[in-house]
Amino acid sequence: MRKADIAVALLLMGVGILVIADSVRLGFKWGTNGPESGFFPFYLGAGLILCTCIIVFKAAIKLKKEGAGARLMPKGGLKPILWVLVPASVMILVTEFVGLHIAAALYLAFYMRAVGKIGWVTTLLISVLMPVSLYIAFDKLFLVPLPQGLWGAYLIPF
Amino acid sequence: MGGDLNNLMMGLGVALQGYNLMIAVIGLVLGIIVGVLPGLGGANGVAILIPVVVSMPATTGVILLSSIYWGALYGGSITSILFNIPGEPWSVATTFDGYPMAKGGRPGKALVLSFLSHGAGAFLGVIMLTFFAPIIAEFALKFGPAEIFSVMILTFSAFVGLGGKSPLKTVTSILFGFILAAVGMDIVSGQLRMTFGSVDLMGGFNFIVAVIGLFGLGEIFLTVEEGLKVEGVTAKVGLKDIGEGVKEILRYPKALIMGTLIGCWMGLKPGGATPASFMAYGFAKQSAKNKVEFGKGASNGIIAPEAAAHGAGTSATLPMITLGIPGSPTMAVIMGGLMIFGLQPGPMLFKEHADFVWGLIASCWVGNFIGLFLVMAFAPIFAAILKIRFAIFMPIIIYVCAIGAYAVNNRMIDVYYMIIFGILGYLFKKLDYPLAPMVLALVLGDMAEQAMRQALIMGQGNPLIFFRPPIALPIMVAALVIFFWPTISSFRKKLAAGKAG
Repeated sequence: MRKADIAVALLLMGVGILVIADSVRLGFKWGTNGPESGFFPFYLGAGLILCTCIIVFKAAIKLKKEGAGARLMPKGGLKPILWVLVPASVMILVTEFVGLHIAAALYLAFYMRAVGKIGWVTTLLISVLMPVSLYIAFDKLFLVPLPQGLWGAYLIPF
Repeated sequence: MGGDLNNLMMGLGVALQGYNLMIAVIGLVLGIIVGVLPGLGGANGVAILIPVVVSMPATTGVILLSSIYWGALYGGSITSILFNIPGEPWSVATTFDGYPMAKGGRPGKALVLSFLSHGAGAFLGVIMLTFFAPIIAEFALKFGPAEIFSVMILTFSAFVGLGGKSPLKTVTSILFGFILAAVGMDIVSGQLRMTFGSVDLMGGFNFIVAVIGLFGLGEIFLTVEEGLKVEGVTAKVGLKDIGEGVKEILRYPKALIMGTLIGCWMGLKPGGATPASFMAYGFAKQSAKNKVEFGKGASNGIIAPEAAAHGAGTSATLPMITLGIPGSPTMAVIMGGLMIFGLQPGPMLFKEHADFVWGLIASCWVGNFIGLFLVMAFAPIFAAILKIRFAIFMPIIIYVCAIGAYAVNNRMIDVYYMIIFGILGYLFKKLDYPLAPMVLALVLGDMAEQAMRQALIMGQGNPLIFFRPPIALPIMVAALVIFFWPTISSFRKKLAAGKAG
């Protein structure tokens, strides 16, 4: 936990440094008509760096004194998370090609069958009915266009 | 006063139109479902429906959004009582006594108690909203940029001093939120900031996408990591339960009144609902004659936190519509909905769109009232949703989240951001960074920056303008006191300990 704490704080510190660098480019002082563009971000970045420094410092002292502490994730906690994260990310990548509804149908079917071990009938029913009803609700009734991807327009021609 | 009542009647006329009424019921049902499902909270439910709302008239759209919120407030307690799974953070305190009572064989009574307390909390909250909102709005008309900025400082100090998390991490999360808000076009000078030449970053980060990722995906990651165990009590709410619930509530008027008052008071401050429910529980326990029953299913242990949670949830509407400062992520998303309709929340809203404001206030009355009946009648059906296998509703939630994230701006990049915010939300939750202040900073970022820059220009660079009397000064002083409250109180404790020893 403490190592993760330090890592995240360092990451945020990196963000702070980027922000300061860009604020300096924009100008962070008093311009001809009031504060310049970088004025507000500059102090935000400075504050962020200061806070994260203290967090890192505190965590490092504790790490030295008391060891690493509890794990960030309980043992075996990473696997189920990856089982959610990876298929969801793949769904979004597939969306770029075939559109969200078809990608989601594939994703629902895969997750329910492969991870949830749910019967074929239920899996097929839900993974077909759900995207179809959401397609009708959003694209047709509320006229909210959803991503079609490269070939989605040809795959759902109506 | 009379004018307010007339306005309220006019608003009720709008809210009770058949179409608006139907939308309110749909919103409430969706809200209760959202409140029951883990991984989907009020903020998320509202965020996903924002794109749908755009196709409706403004009043109807906002009735839908706020009904989801009321529904989620009711729904959260169903699962905490029947399954010991708090659907929302403010229903954690309900699990202490609600679940034991349900397990002890009285689930119906526990539900009735919780719903009635919700109703009472809502009632006082809405009364406050109806009669104080116009006064505060009138007062806020006098605010200049310095005053607006000082109110924001007060808002964020409340998170630091009263939020209960590490002050350092709270400040970090606020700063990070403001930084995310600053990415993209600078609204004053039109320059591009922190885009590093990327076209995608030019559009900035939309807070609705952030909400969906942080609270939706992040919550799902936490749930699967712990493994969701659903062991529940099945419940039916019979007439007998209702009768007994009413009697029990009347037996503990103190818990009810105290809970409601604490709730309404805390709700005015940002992030109020969750601490309010814990505070009310603590107070009820301290002052109760039946202390031993607490934790084993005491009625007043359910009444106080539930009344407080709903009171806080309702009174949080007040700062949102009068000052344009949302007290919770859900309120922030509802405010985002208002802005899509071109309605800028704040004192001018009362002047320029009185019909809309009073329609919204009236729909708070109507929505909370119908909500009470809905949960009373159908609680077991809503509870049955949790019996659906997690592997079925989890991917559907992610699918719906992706729709919501995309539809905000019709940008594919937002869906990727959603995933990143999901991971960030998981890490922040694990490492004890509070998420609500970050979301609020992201929402209020542009407004805060503009107010600060205008004030500084007015003061010719002198920061003392933020302390100008008569309005900004007391607000800033209050903000400073609240900000340093953890330090002050620990110092006082040391002092007291020193005296005693």
